[in-house]
Amino acid sequence: MPYHLFKCSESIPEREKHAVIKGEGEDLTSALPLGYLNTIPGSISERGCAYCGAKHVIGTPMKDVIHMSHGPVGCTYDTWQTKRYISDNDNFQLKYTYATDMKEQHIVFGAEKLLKKNILEAFAAFPEMKRMTLYQTCASALIGDDINAIAEEVMEELPDVDIFVCNSPGFGGPSQSGGHHKINIAWINQKVGTVEPEITSDYVINYVGEYNIQGDQEVMQDFFKRMGIQILSTFTGNGSYDDLRGMHRAQLNVLECARSAEYICNELRVRYGIPRLDIDGFGHEAMASSLRKVGMFFGIEDRAEAIIAEESARWKPELDWYKARLTDKKVCLWPGGSKLWHWANVIHEEMGVNVVSVYTKFGHQQDMEKGVSRCEVGALAIDDPNELEGMEAIETLEPDIIFTGKRPGEVAKKVRVPYLNAHAYHNGPYKGWEGWVRFARDIYNGIYSPIHKLSLLDISKDEIRTDVGFETQRLLSDVNLSDEIKNSTTLREYTGKYDCIKDLRDKTYPEYLTKKVSEAV
Amino acid sequence: MDELTKDRVEQLIDYIMKKCLWQFHSRTWDRERQNENILGMTTQLLCDETVTAESIEDKCYWVDAVCLADAYKERYTWLADLEKPEIKSLMQDVKNRLDHLTITGSLNEELNDPLY
Amino acid sequence: MYCEVNEKERAGVINPIFTCQPCGAQYASIGIKECIGIVHGGQGCVMFVRLLFSQHFKESFEIASSSVHEDGAIFGALNRVEEAVDVLLMRYPDVKVIPIISTCSTEVIGDDIDGVVIKMNETLLPEKYPGREVHLIPIHTPSFVGSMVSGYDVAVKDFVSYFAKKSEPSEKINLITGWVNPGDVTAIKHLLAEMDVEANVLFEIETFDAPLMPSGNHVAHGETTVEDLVDTANAQGTIALNRYEGGSTAKYLQDEFDIPMIIGPTPIGIRNTDTFLKNLSEMTGKPIPESLVRERGIAIDAITDVAHMFLADKKVAIYGNPDLVIGLAQFCLDMEMKPVLLLLGDDNPNYKDDPRIQEFEKNIDYKMEIITNADLWELENRIKNDGLEVDLILGHSKGRFTAMDMNIPMVRVGFPVYDRAGMYRYPVLGYAGAMWLAETIANTWFVDMEYKKNRETILNVW
Repeated sequence: MPYHLFKCSESIPEREKHAVIKGEGEDLTSALPLGYLNTIPGSISERGCAYCGAKHVIGTPMKDVIHMSHGPVGCTYDTWQTKRYISDNDNFQLKYTYATDMKEQHIVFGAEKLLKKNILEAFAAFPEMKRMTLYQTCASALIGDDINAIAEEVMEELPDVDIFVCNSPGFGGPSQSGGHHKINIAWINQKVGTVEPEITSDYVINYVGEYNIQGDQEVMQDFFKRMGIQILSTFTGNGSYDDLRGMHRAQLNVLECARSAEYICNELRVRYGIPRLDIDGFGHEAMASSLRKVGMFFGIEDRAEAIIAEESARWKPELDWYKARLTDKKVCLWPGGSKLWHWANVIHEEMGVNVVSVYTKFGHQQDMEKGVSRCEVGALAIDDPNELEGMEAIETLEPDIIFTGKRPGEVAKKVRVPYLNAHAYHNGPYKGWEGWVRFARDIYNGIYSPIHKLSLLDISKDEIRTDVGFETQRLLSDVNLSDEIKNSTTLREYTGKYDCIKDLRDKTYPEYLTKKVSEAV
Repeated sequence: MDELTKDRVEQLIDYIMKKCLWQFHSRTWDRERQNENILGMTTQLLCDETVTAESIEDKCYWVDAVCLADAYKERYTWLADLEKPEIKSLMQDVKNRLDHLTITGSLNEELNDPLY
Repeated sequence: MYCEVNEKERAGVINPIFTCQPCGAQYASIGIKECIGIVHGGQGCVMFVRLLFSQHFKESFEIASSSVHEDGAIFGALNRVEEAVDVLLMRYPDVKVIPIISTCSTEVIGDDIDGVVIKMNETLLPEKYPGREVHLIPIHTPSFVGSMVSGYDVAVKDFVSYFAKKSEPSEKINLITGWVNPGDVTAIKHLLAEMDVEANVLFEIETFDAPLMPSGNHVAHGETTVEDLVDTANAQGTIALNRYEGGSTAKYLQDEFDIPMIIGPTPIGIRNTDTFLKNLSEMTGKPIPESLVRERGIAIDAITDVAHMFLADKKVAIYGNPDLVIGLAQFCLDMEMKPVLLLLGDDNPNYKDDPRIQEFEKNIDYKMEIITNADLWELENRIKNDGLEVDLILGHSKGRFTAMDMNIPMVRVGFPVYDRAGMYRYPVLGYAGAMWLAETIANTWFVDMEYKKNRETILNVW
């Protein structure tokens, strides 16, 4: 077995089975770490809790909802303004967060009255908001407040409001993934099927496992709209509460982040017969095949092909400009869950970088099956990494850049390795053809930063060039590049706008008549 | 299995593993269904047989099968030189191998969880 | 009476000003050298606090979790604490100080962290780590009590009361900073140096502004040592800059070791810094030197440039940590501004007894409101729906959308500030802080004048 025990973890040998190095000729029947097991206390793991998995990852991207946590104030505060899921309603869900502010007397005597008061106050403060999600926390779970009963009571009193209850306390499961699961199942059990949506197209999908990080959802929505496809709901980025109640009327679930949202797709398949199509929204080839599949499913592949041709022509020369300059750079792909497999292969093929390591903070073995499969030989795969293991891996692998979270990114900075935010992105969106070029551009700017180069210099010992007033990314990246590439007239640097989402919101789309309407005509 | 077949199976498997996601659904029964239907249709497509995909479920398998068959034809030009029975036999080997990697030989301890 | 102190009427919190107690204890813990705390609770209680610190400082700090999962929540999770301590000690050979920080979940299930510390001191430590200096310190910070502010106060006191030990009297004073930035510690230490006063600064967190070194091995961490903490019992006096963050420690040292104490006023602004220096001088017998007269003069010169022409009568709303809010309000008044709304984000019942607040109630001659147990909706709702006019907001980054949406200029101050670069480097304390505050407020106002075309031409000949 190709397990890898870090030196720093020799004292906790159970860690050995959480890391593998995929050797030559090895496959998933030997090279697969354990996953989604209880964390070793005190290991300084990077994992969060099931509350944040439910509320912060999946719940809060829903845009037209009052998101209220029933508990002390900290859970709410901590999961507020720490992600980049935007929305086209002026980011209501980012701006406002609600805590019932449970205090000691509530712990002793119960907090159901407090909860009800809170609910009424919040609806009064935001009279235009008629939808609410209530999140249980550790404290309210342990004192046994019946949140569902209070929600029912309020819904009876206020007939125009609707409340969703998510019982996912922080301690529920080894990582935030426990919360992904709970909120998926809670949503289908409580809310799917309670609204009959208006169907405006012959082609109707749910877009699932997409959180509109820096506008990803809006990028993808643009493609679907151009194809004349109706997105009944997005689970959950930029998604609307009532749209998501009508998920049962889609013909197809297009699934992006299977880690966080495959549960609801599986249940929709079992309960409503809606098939699940897993896609990758990252990378040009992946985008093409994703749209092609959706197009073929509905018999409108010509519409998909038109988009693929247009987008490829527009953005491929820019991607290739970066690929020429990123080839053979070593990257550690250290995200939370799904991006390790979304990116592992396509980043290698389309940007030329070598993924020397993948890790998952909160994923399951299924994520590692995908990730290990998509890596090249020699990659180090780590489940539930901890602080010291991450440092050891950086020392041995010497990556040129790391894709990880904000805080671990600061660790990387100190050992002079640039980082990009894998969860929230640097300058995203990263989905779609243009987004993928933006990602390449961010990687390029990270690796070829003149300041980064200066950071490697020890002025007390090293030779200091006094004849250079500045350097540029280009001067650094093009040193060993062939003239053919350097002087290419087809390749070019990114030419998009700083904000590529704004224009999408004002865009008009071709009208495709539904069969019913065109037959009537 | 002879070396040539083995090598070819590995090439075809490698493509699935690097480019596809359908083989990694959550549970054993899902994976069996996915592998069976998608590879079955892919085989039919590679053998120029007509695939009927009437239901939305079948259509969903079919789109993955079409993409896979197209990619195979484009990347593995040696496929064009094979007779149809050879393709069928090869694809059966691919399915056996994929079943082994993702189901029967899988180390994924969650595959047989009765719930999603 | 023009100044009213009211408690927020709503039961709930819309956009909180503070997070909960364990965060405060964690903030205290990272100020101590060779210390890694273990937060006993769910993993989010640590993960998000570490994220918050990294958002503010652009640095990473090490804090561990006991990772309480479902079984622990049901059957008790003290075994997780024992395992966490062991794992931490095995893998971090330099760690000496391990606070065990409780949370709401582990307080509700009633885990006896004091008991488990006794048990580990009797078994795990002598058996597995004989001869190793290890301090296990239980800190109770249930999230349903107080806020991050009280959590910090509790933790500082628990650290000091654990270590403080009387031996030889020291020339030093204890200087308890409260929840401040590295820039504040630099400013205070500068004043102490000018006064020729040796101080035991709790906590030495200038190093939170850590360099990126060519050796690539530098990690941000506090520099207060076990010896420093032990020595707190020998000081000739204690000054706690903040009443609510460290005040109880000063009182503890007075009660326990007869160390004279002065709590506050937080040296924000010229006047409070004068008071601080006067107190320092009285406590140590050292005179205020000419160099500080000059430094004060430079600050006053700078403030004079902006105060009565630009800042006078500007209405200000201030929120954040209570000592900071109160100190800023006092300084704003000295600069002729009008703090109209002060938001104190927790339900501490002692605010009404704060002499500074009582002075507001007594002497403020326009309508000022102080809200306790406040949230940021108290600010936004007043502006949006109740017609409150505000020219400037002083507060931390969590209120950024209120400022943006209400189109009101905002100076980032306090914790956390993550939407402006390097703010932890600048002080609000001392004369340096007064000058920086006045000029930053003015510059922020100037930019606003320009963007809103609001008498922007007057800057032509200023």
